[in-house]
Amino acid sequence: MRASRALGLVPILVLLLAWQWAASAGLYAAVLLPPPLAVAQVFLDEPAQLAYHMMASLTRVAIGVGWAFVIAVPLGLLIGRYHWLDMLTDWSIQMFRSFPPISLIPLALLFFGIGDKPAVVLIFISAFWPLIINTIFGVRSVERTLLRVAKSSRAGEWLIFTDIMLPASLPAIFTGLRLAIGAGWLTVVTAEMIAVRSGLGYMILNAQMTFRSDLIIAGILVIGVVGLAADQGVRALRGYLCRWQEGLTASPE
Amino acid sequence: MSAAETLDLGVTRGGDARFLQCATLSKTFDTRTGIVEALRKIELDVPLGEFVCFLGASGCGKSTLLSIIGGLETPSAGQVLLNGKAIVKPSPDLSFVFQDHGLFPWMTVEQNCAFSLKASGMGRAARLAKAREYLALVGLQGFGTRFPHELSGGMKQRVGIARALTTDPKLLLMDEPFGALDAQTRANLQQELLRIWSGRQATVLFVTHSIDEALILADRIVVFHPRPGRIRADVRVALPRPRDIHAPEFGAMARELEALLQTPT
Ligand SMILES: Nc1ncnc2c1ncn2[C@@H]1O[C@H](COP(=O)(O)OP(=O)(O)O)[C@@H](O)[C@H]1O
Ligand SMILES: [Mg+2]
Repeated sequence: MRASRALGLVPILVLLLAWQWAASAGLYAAVLLPPPLAVAQVFLDEPAQLAYHMMASLTRVAIGVGWAFVIAVPLGLLIGRYHWLDMLTDWSIQMFRSFPPISLIPLALLFFGIGDKPAVVLIFISAFWPLIINTIFGVRSVERTLLRVAKSSRAGEWLIFTDIMLPASLPAIFTGLRLAIGAGWLTVVTAEMIAVRSGLGYMILNAQMTFRSDLIIAGILVIGVVGLAADQGVRALRGYLCRWQEGLTASPE
Repeated sequence: MSAAETLDLGVTRGGDARFLQCATLSKTFDTRTGIVEALRKIELDVPLGEFVCFLGASGCGKSTLLSIIGGLETPSAGQVLLNGKAIVKPSPDLSFVFQDHGLFPWMTVEQNCAFSLKASGMGRAARLAKAREYLALVGLQGFGTRFPHELSGGMKQRVGIARALTTDPKLLLMDEPFGALDAQTRANLQQELLRIWSGRQATVLFVTHSIDEALILADRIVVFHPRPGRIRADVRVALPRPRDIHAPEFGAMARELEALLQTPT
């Protein structure tokens, strides 16, 4: 039997119920951790504020990940195709990708000051590595026979990139994109707590100053839901663009 | 080629003997475990229009020879001449069919079939029209918009053959194209291939390790021996087509080839 997708909601619902019950039963100080209904009230009372900060964060992630995508994917295709480029860049990629983006915040602030720029740059950096690494991996997985077909058909390099390398690595590129969006989303919240005056990270930190733990939790919920929605969106896009893969890859029972 | 013996049993199917020439062709690979002599001093002339099978156990250099003739690999010594001109890179006059069909999984059957034409710079409408024409030739009309994973092994290989034919090659290089197919599908495709070949003026070099397959298809069978890869014998098959596996002449030749494959040189 095929388990329904809705099964994924069960743990979340159970958690909400237990939480509401614990708060009403007075098991802990509800001021510190308001129950679900109190948090729901925030969504009813202050939707504009939540939407404003959400859009600010989303815009930054879209710009940062977008730039990372248009630079990392072509670069990854080239590195995957040309051995000398791989030799040239491999160690650098392995080294730079180990830097936690958070540790770069002080530098980003020094360079760009307070504002959108340091946040977007940090998102770019954290999205860049998963994208380039997965693209390179994707190119490597191109079947040898297919390259022989291309060569014997006397296909030019451009055609090899557009018609073979790119589509062949598309599944891996999508894996990279999912990781990139996840990393970018984590980074934006952190960066906003320090470097900007808008966005969900800023909103949450500000709520702490004003002792609004209900707003903190509402913000965290938005972060979680947007993260999930973005991931589902990318998966759906991948399912459509890589439908030729059906039947080629194993899927879990 | 002193060790090779020629059993000339009949007529040659027309054409200029100088169509394809391999002259003292050798190929060695430098591997981690040492030097592998994949081919040693191959001498081979094939006229236009001939159907030649390369027969031999695996590892005797058949694929390597095909790759060199196809311009995908360079020989360590010697050269290949096509119409008197040395082959140094893939020629527009030849096409490959690979054992694992080499279809692009992300392209539809039609797009796959049109790929060689696209690579040659033909416009979209023209190449798709031509692709459909060749898909019909191999019995796949109506399957153009499917993806390869929706086809059976035999159908995939039909697409591979159709794609190879779209550029109207004078030389068709087939590396164990039916090796992965079941017996029935294989028999069907062998007959289809003969039908298609007899309708055009093209040379086929067909690699197989099945004696029966070679005897069903070939005008001429080149028998290879391994370590180093070299030609053991060059046998003409003068049996009339369609060939009957159960005919005594067929059986006699099969035994002869079997002996050639096994005797040490
Ligand atoms: N790219 C390569 N690198 C190293 N050795 C190779 C390579 N290609 C083929 N060989 C070796 O050359 C010999 C002939 O191989 P191949 O031409 O594939 O034989 P066949 O097609 O008759 O089975 C084998 O010993 C094989 O291991
Ligand atoms: Mg082989």
